[in-house]
Amino acid sequence: MNMTIIAQMAVSGALMGMVYALIAYGFQLTYATSKSINFGQGELVMLSAFFSLTLLNLGAPYWLMVIGGLLFGAAMGLVVERACVRLALEQKSEGWILLTIIFGLLGFSAAENIWGRDDRPFPSPISSDALDFFGISITGLEIAVAVGVLAVMGVIELFKHKTLLGKAFAAVSADRDAAELMGISATKTIMLSYGLSGMVAAMAGILISPITTVGPTMASALILKAFSVAVVAGLDSGFGVVVIGICLGALESLTSFYLGSGWREAPGLLLLILALAVRPNGVFGKANIRKV
Amino acid sequence: MLQVENLHAGYGTSEVLTGTTLHVKQGSVVALIGANGAGKTTTMRAISGMIKPASGRVLLGGQPVQGLSASRIAKLGLAHSPEGRKVFGPLSVEDNLLLGAYNHLPMFFGFRGRAAEGLEKVYALFPRLKERRLQAAGTLSGGEQQMLAIGRALMANPKVILLDEPSMGLAPVIVQEVFNIIRRLKESGVTLLLVEQFAKSALEVADYAYVMERGRIAVEGTPAQLHQNERVIAAYLG
Repeated sequence: MNMTIIAQMAVSGALMGMVYALIAYGFQLTYATSKSINFGQGELVMLSAFFSLTLLNLGAPYWLMVIGGLLFGAAMGLVVERACVRLALEQKSEGWILLTIIFGLLGFSAAENIWGRDDRPFPSPISSDALDFFGISITGLEIAVAVGVLAVMGVIELFKHKTLLGKAFAAVSADRDAAELMGISATKTIMLSYGLSGMVAAMAGILISPITTVGPTMASALILKAFSVAVVAGLDSGFGVVVIGICLGALESLTSFYLGSGWREAPGLLLLILALAVRPNGVFGKANIRKV
Repeated sequence: MLQVENLHAGYGTSEVLTGTTLHVKQGSVVALIGANGAGKTTTMRAISGMIKPASGRVLLGGQPVQGLSASRIAKLGLAHSPEGRKVFGPLSVEDNLLLGAYNHLPMFFGFRGRAAEGLEKVYALFPRLKERRLQAAGTLSGGEQQMLAIGRALMANPKVILLDEPSMGLAPVIVQEVFNIIRRLKESGVTLLLVEQFAKSALEVADYAYVMERGRIAVEGTPAQLHQNERVIAAYLG
C-alpha cells in the first residue's frame, strides 16, 4: 500500500476531526460554568446550518450569512439555557439531561417539517479545487475548516484567559456561591456560556456543511463523535479536544478505507469505552483535587 | 451602615433565625458570638443574600437589600468573606483578588491597570500574597487562604465587610496573625461584622458585640459591658 494514500486519508480525516473538536469545545464551554451540557448540540449545529443555507438562498452575501448564522446559533443556545437548563440547575436536579435531549428531538422534527428530509448542498465561495502539498491534496474547503476552527477556539480561549469576564467563568466554575458574593451573577455567566456554545455549534455547521451536505440527520452522526472527543479529551482542556479530534478523524478515515465504511463509527465508540474505563476524567482532564 | 431588623430566615421549613436585630455603625467593628448552631453564619448568609430571609429587613447604608440576589447586594457595597474561605482554588492568587473587584473593573481590557492601586494596598497588608501572586489559590496554606479571602473582600472597597470565622481551622499562631490584621483594618476605618468562635479575642478587637442564642440576640453591649455580664462570662469567656 502506498504511503501517500495513507497520508492522504489521515489528513482529510484529521481535518474533519477538527469539526468534531469544535463541537466538543461547545460542550466544554457550558460544562465549565454549569456542569451541564446540551445533548441537543448536534441539532443546534444542524438547525444553524439550515438557517444559514436559507439566508444564502434568500440572496444574502456570504459574510452576512456567517454573521446571521452565528447570531442564530447564539440565540438558540440562549433558548436552550432558558428552557431546558436554568430551572433544573436552580432545583439542583439533573433534569437538564432529559430536557436537552427533548430539545434535540424537537429540533429534528422542526427541521424535517420546515426544510424537508433531503440532504442539500451548501454552496461556499471557497474553491473546492485540490491543492497539492507534497503529494497530498487538500481542498480549499478543508483548509477553511482548519483555519475557522482554530480561529474560533483561539478567540474564545483568549477571552477566557485574558479578560476579567473570562476569569469570572472560571470563578463560577470553581465556586458558584463565592462568585456570587463577588458580585458575579452566576445566572448571567451561565447564559453567556450557552450563548457562546450555540455560536460555536453554528460555526461548526457553517464550516462542515459545504464538505458534507445539510440534512436533518447530519446531527446524529456529528454529535456522537463530538461526544467521544469531549469525553476522551476531558471536559476542561481546549487543547485536548483539538488533539483528540484530529486523531479520531484520522483514525476514522483510515478505518473506513481499510475495513469498509460500515466500520466508520467504530473507532470513536471504542475510544469512548476505553476512555471511560481507563481515564474517566479524560486524557487531558485534571483529576478532581479537593483540599479540606 | 448596616442595620438588620427582626430578621427571620432558615433552610427549607426549619427556621434558624427567629427575629435577629443588630446594627453596625460606620467605621466600627462589631462581633457576633455564640455557640455552634446559634445562627451566626445563617445571619451572615441572610444579610448577604446567599439565603432569602423569610421576613425582616436588611438596610445597607439606609437602602433595603433583603430579598435581592447575592450578586446584587455585593454590587451595592457588601463584601462577605464566607465561612471556609471559599477561594477560587484553580485560579491564581492575583486572579482571585482581581475578581474581588469584579464590579469596579472593566470586563474586557485594561482591568489590570485599573486594579493596580487596590492590588498594591492588599499586597502591602499581606506581603505573603504578593510573593505567591501567580500560584494557584488552592495550593496555599489555610492561613494564606484566609488572608486571600480577606484581601479579596477588601478589593471591592466595600461599605461593610462580613467576616465569617476567619480563625476556623487555623493554628493558634496564625489565629493571632489574623486578629492582628483585623486590628489593622479597624485602624484604617473599615466597617466590619465579625463572626467568631474565639469570643475572647473577638471582644478584644470589637467596639460592640452581640451574643446569639437559638436564632436571636440574647445579650448585647460593649466588650466592657459583656465582661461584667455573668451569663456571658460563664458561657463564653470562662
